[in-house]
Amino acid sequence: MSRTEILAKLRALMANAIPVARTDGEEIDWQQVSEGDAIAKLGFDSLAMLDLLYDIQQSFEIELDPRDLAQVTTVGHLVDAIAKHKQA
Amino acid sequence: MKRVLHAIEYLIVRALLCLVDVLPVRACIALAHGIGDLVYLLHGPRRRIAVENILRAGLAPDEASAKRLARQSFRHFARVVATSIKSDTWFRKHPPEECMTWKIGPELEAILEDPKQGLILACGHLGSWEIGGQVLSLRKPVVGIARRMNNPYVDRLIQKRKPRHRFELTPKRDANLLRLASALKEGKVLAIMIDQNAKDRGMLVDYFGRPASSHTAIALLHLLTKTPLCVGACMEVAPMKFEFRATGPFRFAPSGNKDADIRRILEHLNGELENAVRATPDQYMWGHRRWRLTPAQLIAAAEA
Repeated sequence: MSRTEILAKLRALMANAIPVARTDGEEIDWQQVSEGDAIAKLGFDSLAMLDLLYDIQQSFEIELDPRDLAQVTTVGHLVDAIAKHKQA
Repeated sequence: MKRVLHAIEYLIVRALLCLVDVLPVRACIALAHGIGDLVYLLHGPRRRIAVENILRAGLAPDEASAKRLARQSFRHFARVVATSIKSDTWFRKHPPEECMTWKIGPELEAILEDPKQGLILACGHLGSWEIGGQVLSLRKPVVGIARRMNNPYVDRLIQKRKPRHRFELTPKRDANLLRLASALKEGKVLAIMIDQNAKDRGMLVDYFGRPASSHTAIALLHLLTKTPLCVGACMEVAPMKFEFRATGPFRFAPSGNKDADIRRILEHLNGELENAVRATPDQYMWGHRRWRLTPAQLIAAAEA
């Protein structure tokens, strides 16, 4: 699976998480979200992040170790974590 | 004005702590009962919440019985505070095995003995939760989430006084759920109070037959990390004698429907906690707004 494909799928999952994520009324164009975007700025707090990680696990059929995700702050970091599992 | 009030509160708490330190256990408990009775008499709104909760939970046939149970509950809460403070010096003189018995199944025993296996402990405002965390941490490192007190002076004083062993408390405001998930992978126990009102972020799940807004994080943490769950409480069986009772371990396989999975887990945990509360209702904190719903939740509950 390429990074572009991972990012596209990830955008859809993030968009689905909108009811949980708090965006302060600001609408996000999820198609424009890039790897450099900070996850927190997209409205994902701790609980919404947990929700998203579970969706990622189910959707990509991978098992993420939370210890590897401690440094994840951007969408690109998430793509890295998923790509690592998809290549393994 | 607020600072002055906080300072007065701090001085009162400090004086009470000194009293608890010098008094023998039985006198401490008598003092706690006195304070519990005083709060019960003076704090009308809290008393009314407790009585209403007890009546609506069906644990008392009439208002007089509900009031008696509510008063016991207030006394118990004061005792929890007093014994938690006293426990620091007490456990130094009395080994834990002398003060604590364990009523848990062999599978849970095995988990506690395995240093690599994490465990999610769902608990509530039942029994002596502070002492439970302390004693459990002698067997396995424990991570918990705690709400800071409104009075910063009292908060600092209490935090300094609490014995910790391997019991790490994360302030609720700073709780990073991902870090808590990591703790589970490091073989720690994550203790989560499941009977707190999650307000508009929770899922409505029945508790004592009434919809209550429940935090979903515990279910997500289980689904994400596959760490076994249990429901437990540290019950007071005599002055400074406790029994740790827990049911589980419980494991839930994902069905593909996330919301349904979360609901199934929360219903199960709430049910287990409810059974534990029914067994010893006098050791439960009834004076909290567990069932208060937001207007949107009231509509959702009515439509369900």
